[in-house]
Formats: sequence, C-alpha cells, structure tokens
Amino acid sequence: MIAAAGLTRQFGARVVVDRVTFTVARGEIVALLGPNGAGKTTTLRMLAGLIRPTAGTVTIDGVPMAASTGSALRRRIGFLTETPGLWDRLTVRENLSIYSDLYGLDRGGERAAALLDTLGLTPHLELRAAELSKGMRQKVALTRALLHDPDVLLLDEPTSGLDPEVTHGVRALLAHRRANGCAILLSTHNLAEAERIADRVAVLQERLLALDTPDVLRRRVRSGRIEVRVHDAAERYVNVVAPLATRATADGPLLQIELQDPDLRTPAVVEALVAAGARIVEVRPELPGLEDVYLALVAHGERGLVP
Amino acid sequence: MNRGAVAGLFRKELIDVSRNRGALIPVVLVTAIALVVPFVVTIAVPLATAGRLGDDFELVRVSAIVDPDARLSPDARVQLFLFQQFLLLFLLTPTTGAMALAAHSVVGEKQARTLEPLLATPIATFELLLAKVMGALVPTLVIAMAGLLLYVAGIALLALPGVLGAMTNPRTAVLVLLLAPAAALLSLQAAILISSRVNDARTAQQFGVFIVIPVSALLVAQFTGAVWLSAFALTAISAAMMLLWGILAAVSVRLFDRETILTRWR
Repeated sequence: MIAAAGLTRQFGARVVVDRVTFTVARGEIVALLGPNGAGKTTTLRMLAGLIRPTAGTVTIDGVPMAASTGSALRRRIGFLTETPGLWDRLTVRENLSIYSDLYGLDRGGERAAALLDTLGLTPHLELRAAELSKGMRQKVALTRALLHDPDVLLLDEPTSGLDPEVTHGVRALLAHRRANGCAILLSTHNLAEAERIADRVAVLQERLLALDTPDVLRRRVRSGRIEVRVHDAAERYVNVVAPLATRATADGPLLQIELQDPDLRTPAVVEALVAAGARIVEVRPELPGLEDVYLALVAHGERGLVP
Repeated sequence: MNRGAVAGLFRKELIDVSRNRGALIPVVLVTAIALVVPFVVTIAVPLATAGRLGDDFELVRVSAIVDPDARLSPDARVQLFLFQQFLLLFLLTPTTGAMALAAHSVVGEKQARTLEPLLATPIATFELLLAKVMGALVPTLVIAMAGLLLYVAGIALLALPGVLGAMTNPRTAVLVLLLAPAAALLSLQAAILISSRVNDARTAQQFGVFIVIPVSALLVAQFTGAVWLSAFALTAISAAMMLLWGILAAVSVRLFDRETILTRWR
C-alpha cells in the first residue's frame, strides 16, 4: 500500500534521510522509531507528498507520488502533523467542518460526530480550539486526519500528550482502522506503544536500521542468556552446566545461564541437564525489551544487530 | 477547480476575521479618515473661516474640468471637484486591508502551525491562494462600500445643490464599481504573494508600502490638476489592473513553494 524505495532527503549538504526502503501493507501498522532528528517527520512529509525526496520514490497503492498525482493521493491519505495545527479562533465543529469541505465530503459532519464521540469530544464541539487542552487538541487533530476515511494513515506522535485512557481509545481506533484495511505508519518515541500496537517496528536514524516484528527484533539483539526451569531445585545443576557456560546461577527452579553462543551451546546444555537427571519444564532465551533493542540499534547502528 | 474546498477555506477566513476584529482596525480607520477629511475640507473649513471655496481663483480654475458647461455655481463646482478627488481616498481602504489581512494570511498560517495540515489536504495551490484573496477582499470591500455609502449620504445632506447629481456619473461608477475592486484585488494578490515569500508578517507589511505608493502618487497628481482621469481612462486602468492581477495570481501560484514554506520557515 505504502512503498518507499531508496527514499533520500538532503537539506543542503546535510542528509536527513538516507536510502530508506520499506513498505506498509493494507491492514498493517508500522511504528517508526528513532531519536530526535532521526528523519521521522521528514519521512512522513515525503510520504504525504509535502516535500520532495532528493532521490527515491514513494508510491501509494502503486501510484507514484508526483506533482500530477499529489492532490489525488492526498485525498487518500490522513496525515496527523507533529503539532495539532488547529485554527484557534474557530470552534471544534468549525475546524472539522472546514476540513470536510476541503476533502469534498458530503457527510463529513456525521463522520466527525461519530469520531468525536469515540474520542469523548462531543461535549466540546462548540469550544474554540484555543480553549482546548493539549490532549483535546491532539484528539481533534486525530479526528481531522480520519475524517475522510483514508486508506493510508501517517501519524506523527499520535498519542503525544494524551492521558492513558484516551491513549487506549486511540489505540483501539487505530486497531479498528487496521482491521478495515488501512495502512498505518506512525512515528513515536513511546516504545511500549510501538510494541503494543505495531505489527512491525522500523528503527530510523537517518538510515533504516531495522524493520521487523517486535519479537524478531528482540531475538536479533541477544543478551546471550538462557533460562532453564527445572522441576526440582536448580541449585543441584549449576555445576553440571558450569563447564559449558560463562556464568551459571540458580534461583529456585530457575537456572540462569550465560552462553557465548546460545544457538550452538543450548542443545549441549539441555543434553547435560537431562543426563544429570534434571526434569526440564522450559528452556527459553532471555529476550531483551524493545527498549534494549532500540538503544542497541541507535547506539551502534547496524552493528547493534547480531546476524 | 474544487469549489467546495475554496468555499470552505473562504468561510474559514471570514470566521477568523469576524473573531479578530482588531485586524480590521486599520481598514476602518482609513475608511473613517477618507470619510471625514473631505467634509472637513469642503464644508467645515469654509464654515469655520467664513470663507467661500469659490473665492479661491486657483481652485475655481482647476475645478472647471468637472463642470465644463459651467452649470454649477463656483462654490458648488469646487465642492464637486474636491468630492470627486477625495473619492480616490477610498482606493486606499482596500490597499490598507491588503496589508492588514493578506500580509498575514500565509505567513500567519505558518507561524500558527496550521499550514502543514492544510497543505496535506487535496487543495491545489491556486485554490488555496484564491480562498485567501477572497477572504481578505470581501471584508475589505464591504467596509469600503459602507464607507462610500456614508460618503454619498454625507454629500446628499451637506453639499450644495447640484453637487450630488453631478457626481452621479459614469466616472464615479467606474471608480467605485471597477477601479476600487480591481485595486483591492491587485493589492491583495501582491500582499499574498509577498506573504508567501517572506517568513514573518512584519516583513510582509513593510513590503506593503510599495503598494500604497502608486495610489498616493495618483492622488497627488489629481489634486494638483496635473492628471484628470476620465471614465474611459479609469476603465482602462481597471482593465490593466485586472490583467496584472491575473499575471500576479499566476506568479503567486508558481512561486508558492510548499516545501520551502514547511522546511525553511521557523
């Protein structure tokens, strides 16, 4: 649905986005993670057709983004900008009604009403945007991005400034959009959010450092530790695995074993334990959190990934 | 053209102006000055000094151009001449409106961070700029026309007999119905062009001074009697202004660089 191929953007001599290639399929949510200045907003702007790539292409459902196609493609894209960008002197209703006109919607009011109801904004329809709290402004901006029922959603920090209850509502809304076949790319600093809502996570730092499901990413950045749960006291088996491990400790039924090469050594550890009479309940690699993955990737670039 | 989008954005501009009446103060002030000064000069000063306009030989000579058949008394003829000349002041109203409203239009959206979501919609640059021009033009023209109505009412009430009748001529009609809107449109378009090329509203307003200069020069030339623009000449000027507006509108669309506005302005 969304395809970026070799997307590059330079401002003067400074390369902000460098040869980024990825796709977002229908009914998929991809979270774009990266530190400040990593090129997330620039990438979203290029995908929305607001700025031109220095090199590379953007296609939406097979249609290349160009001056001649931009207007038609923007009709299919919902874009939540970094700041809500509401007209302060206009009420919530007026802000949304004018955007309905801009998208040429006949029944924009009804759709806006349904969205506002979902986000709990209905009582605030007649308030001027200037009177809204930061969270409410963000909700109105999100409503505006969804108003024309787009099949592509580009969201820059969609839950920024929202309270946990509303954040939950927004996630549910995005999950519903995904179920309806919408391709969603969202940038976020919130790793827990990315893990919770995204099908895949892209880590961007000028270049695309990684793009995969949170589970696969966690497996790619390994701690080198495995945990073995046995039926009896683990303490009995520390000496059994010690020759194979760089470090082994026991905690109740859990054996925590550090290995130099878990792929190679884990079968040998299991064999040694079985031979020693251990009744193994579970063997699992200790996976790092997404935060650890992200920090490793950002700190070391591609070298943060274990092949 | 997506008329719904233009109408929607135009509606936004009108709501915005109606809730930010302070932005209209310069337009209202210029209109008030354009309304009061002619009556002070032609009615109040002669009354206060017990003098007569027809006693000024030079004024009588210059004013002959508005009454070539000498149907009016010298006093009435000078009044007619002055009221005709001061009519040009109403051209300054939309020009001031251009600087007060249009100069802020694009750069104001950028500074309020409302431009990016707007540019992310399917609206074309021409449609966006058209809505901006209309949004500044309509309130300005409404104020200018209200001022003109009061001007005519004042002349009907206070001027000497025959002056109002003599003013009701094709020249006045062209001035009010063609030249004033054309000047407004041209000024607004220039202001919006400038507004989309600079990165703060004050700079846009400073550039707006260049719009006032030609109108002021026209006023001075008329008062000295050096230039007398007939109805035909005013029609030609209006047509030229409309043509220039078309060119300026095309240039504005071409120079409106979405990318630079989004990425370089802070």
